[in-house]
Amino acid sequence: MSAWLPVFSLPLLVLALAGGTLLFDAVVTVPGRVLGWALVLGLLGTLGASFVVDLSGTVPGGVYVGGAWALYFQRVFLVAAVLGVLAAIDWLEKYAPRRQAEYYALTLFSVAGMMVLPGARDWVLLVVAFELMGIPLVVLAAWAKNDGPDAALLPRLAAEAGLKLFVTSAASSAVTLFGLALVTGLTGTTRLSGVAAGPVSPLLGVGMLMVLGGFGFKVGAVPFHMWVPDTYQGAPTPFVGFLSVAPKAGGLAALAVVLLSAWGGHFKLWGPALAAMSVASMVVGNLFALPQSDLRRLLGFSGIAQIGYALVALAAGTEQGLAMTLFFVTTYLFTNLGVFFVVHAAAEQAGGHTLSLLTGLSRRAPALGAALLVFLLSLAGIPFVVGFWAKLFVFLAAWRAGLVGLVLAGVVLAVVGLFYYLSVARSTFMSDGTSTERVRVGWPLGAAIVTCLVAVVGLGLWPSGLVEQASQAASALLTGH
Amino acid sequence: MSHLLSIVVAAPAVAAAALLAMPRQWRLGIRLVSLAGASVSLALSVVVALQFVRTDGGLQFLERYPLVPSLGIALKLAVDGWGVALLLLTGLIIVTGVLASWTVARRDKEFFVLLLVLVSGVFGVFVSQDLFVFFLFYEIAVLPMYLLIGIWGASHDVARAGPFQFVWSRFAVGSKEYAAMKLTLMLLVGSGAILVAMFALWSGGGERTFDLQVLASTHFSPATQNLVFPLIWLGFGTLAGVFPFHTWSPDGHASAPTAVSMLHAGVLMKLGAFGVMRIGMVLAPDAAAAWAPVVGAVAVVNVLYGAWCAAHQTDLKYIVAYSSVSHMGVVMLGAATLTGAGWNGAVYQMVAHGIMTGLFFALVGLVYERAHTRAIAKMGGFAHRMPAVAAFFTLACLSSLGLPGTAGFVAEFMVFLGAARGASPWWAVPGVLGAFITAIYVLRACKTIFWGPAPEGEFAHLTDARRTEWAAPLVLGAALVVFGVWPRLLLDFIDLTSSGFLHRLPVLAEVLR
Repeated sequence: MSAWLPVFSLPLLVLALAGGTLLFDAVVTVPGRVLGWALVLGLLGTLGASFVVDLSGTVPGGVYVGGAWALYFQRVFLVAAVLGVLAAIDWLEKYAPRRQAEYYALTLFSVAGMMVLPGARDWVLLVVAFELMGIPLVVLAAWAKNDGPDAALLPRLAAEAGLKLFVTSAASSAVTLFGLALVTGLTGTTRLSGVAAGPVSPLLGVGMLMVLGGFGFKVGAVPFHMWVPDTYQGAPTPFVGFLSVAPKAGGLAALAVVLLSAWGGHFKLWGPALAAMSVASMVVGNLFALPQSDLRRLLGFSGIAQIGYALVALAAGTEQGLAMTLFFVTTYLFTNLGVFFVVHAAAEQAGGHTLSLLTGLSRRAPALGAALLVFLLSLAGIPFVVGFWAKLFVFLAAWRAGLVGLVLAGVVLAVVGLFYYLSVARSTFMSDGTSTERVRVGWPLGAAIVTCLVAVVGLGLWPSGLVEQASQAASALLTGH
Repeated sequence: MSHLLSIVVAAPAVAAAALLAMPRQWRLGIRLVSLAGASVSLALSVVVALQFVRTDGGLQFLERYPLVPSLGIALKLAVDGWGVALLLLTGLIIVTGVLASWTVARRDKEFFVLLLVLVSGVFGVFVSQDLFVFFLFYEIAVLPMYLLIGIWGASHDVARAGPFQFVWSRFAVGSKEYAAMKLTLMLLVGSGAILVAMFALWSGGGERTFDLQVLASTHFSPATQNLVFPLIWLGFGTLAGVFPFHTWSPDGHASAPTAVSMLHAGVLMKLGAFGVMRIGMVLAPDAAAAWAPVVGAVAVVNVLYGAWCAAHQTDLKYIVAYSSVSHMGVVMLGAATLTGAGWNGAVYQMVAHGIMTGLFFALVGLVYERAHTRAIAKMGGFAHRMPAVAAFFTLACLSSLGLPGTAGFVAEFMVFLGAARGASPWWAVPGVLGAFITAIYVLRACKTIFWGPAPEGEFAHLTDARRTEWAAPLVLGAALVVFGVWPRLLLDFIDLTSSGFLHRLPVLAEVLR
């Protein structure tokens, strides 16, 4: 019993934090701000513990494996959780003062689900973790009831955001489960590695592709992407930042475990499917982002495109490709959170999320404008910010695996992406705007933005440390740790 | 290990960082710090040129710092003879450019920050000996341009004409935002092509390194070379204004503020040609030889088409911009000859045209600031009001058409000589014809603006150059004449490197045999 406890301790700690928050809130009333900061400390403590305690090992029965691979993702999720909580503190206090503890608890439940994902080696555990991650997100997406900067629109948008996420997430779960029924039924085991042993019959192949499609929903890859822009538009912006990175990282972690580790021998089956999803995501994401006037929709489509880039490296099916996917996801986390946080801060002051309201931001808030520019350049993949390395490594890995067509498509579409990223930069920098009111950024949100900024610039100047970590994690997965 | 080159590259960037820390009210301080940053780079470039050992065509002043060892990326800086010539050019243009922007009023702090960052990138490109770092610096040199043109540029009316006029209103052709976006996107499509070529070189050599020296000693397979060369030609060629990817250049240069036009036309376009020669032709020599007829033929189109377009412009800045397209054709023509004289001429033309066009844009900016118009038809007789400006403008015109005694003559002469000696001697004919058309349009413009009769009263208030405005005409004008009458000053460096590289070319090997 006690032998596996340390191995599984990180997800349990987060779960305890989540449950504790609810219990605590039921017993005593504390200001939401205090609760938020306490949770940040708790999460940071958990993150610290991950560096101190030895968490590697296998749970008896082999359903969960802890090690460098799981740890890498768990740290990513913890960082995302810290930043997500930080950014939400002020928003919650202002717009949902009576529902603060629940918001934090749900966020943490979702994170607890994510924490289990990368280590899961059994379909049952994997699916449970997936649902634990996904269901709280649906509730959170509809959190903004009749408040927020663009209040008139919100009741409808928030409901739409939640409902769309719910329906698609339920549908994707159904598809995944149907596929799993085929896979487990035909192989006779619920182990992920069960398929590797046997030859692939057509029915099993169909099952595997259905599982792949189900995961596609979670990461928001084309053709399973339609929930993304609508949900992003209606959900609370600080939450959208979290939604746009953490669950996607979780989905990619699960995809990587299933595809490269468990189904590594069936590359011929899933490789082309993944490559097709990747190209489709890059094309649809980048082209549909062009005409958007709502920033959150624009960033939603940009997120679809970014997932396409991440899948480019995964579709290479190599260890290097996997490592570069990890690097990409990590850098995307900081960049996209940063972008959403800045947009949130600006929208709070401007009273809406349309692109035109952003004009002259750099005059009203020079620091915020500069931060936005850095994040946008990183998303566009411009040198000296980390997004450049991310794209470069991804393309390099794909090139080495011989996926020349994917690389060419990616490079061309990256330039298309630059157009809309620069268009945002243009409104913030080039026009003076009408409003002269200065933008106020609260402490927690400011801290989150600065953290993202430091990470994006710091990793942009010195990426090799993170590359090394990602490579270790990737090789840990492929050697079975 | 000498640190000269890293200081040359870093000085403008350090100055930019210092500017960020200064309050925006210190207007003079901001300018002095910018000038100091630029001057340090120029001064050290001169030191590099003086200390350069002129018997050794290889790399000198080598510095190496590992960056991402696992991918074979290192910050490796060194110069060869071409690098020295282009360092000097960049130094001259940026110092005079900073002085020419002394009067920038709007958001001046950000302007100088971006300008200096951009120049750091340009210096970096000319001294990088690692393909990857080369690319990084290239991007720094290209991107700040978007904001520089978009914020400080000037929009202007473009007469709606031709079959595509509906597109013009849709995309606001003529506005500075349009010019900035067009320039950035076209150049970044180019860098996409370069990136792919880099991957091919990285994986094709089997060494998994971006070190240019190692790559240069690798013999790439014909398949790799035939993939790499066209991509490099497209990628860097876009920046060099190669037809038909030159269209960003007139719009961009016409919309950009003075110093940015000087830098962009004067130095950045050279960076493109430098890339084609230094990366494409040197690393993929067989493909370069195979593609040379195409490159040369397109360069001929550049020379003639650029000159023909320039002859039809009514806006002074567009004339200069199109003349850049034409003159960059001469550079590419020299490169495509694959002969010693042609390559020397190409690099010499980079410097000569850089100085000349820098001078042009500085003077045009000066005139525009006073007359508030760039329409040639409205101007006239300015020589009475601003004799010095008129004199220097005429000098630039003469160099532009290749008058002996100016730097332009030396360059064009060598390029045409190279063409005559090369595989396609007929290339010299359209080249000379281009110089002839150039004479027509520059002299016509010069005559109308400065030497013709003055319109009544309207321009009576015009004054000659003042204070810092003298810097660009004096320095660049003097450089034009010095490099015109004493070409060895630069040719010694350039030739050393050209002949070293040419030994890699199959064409030459045949001649030598």
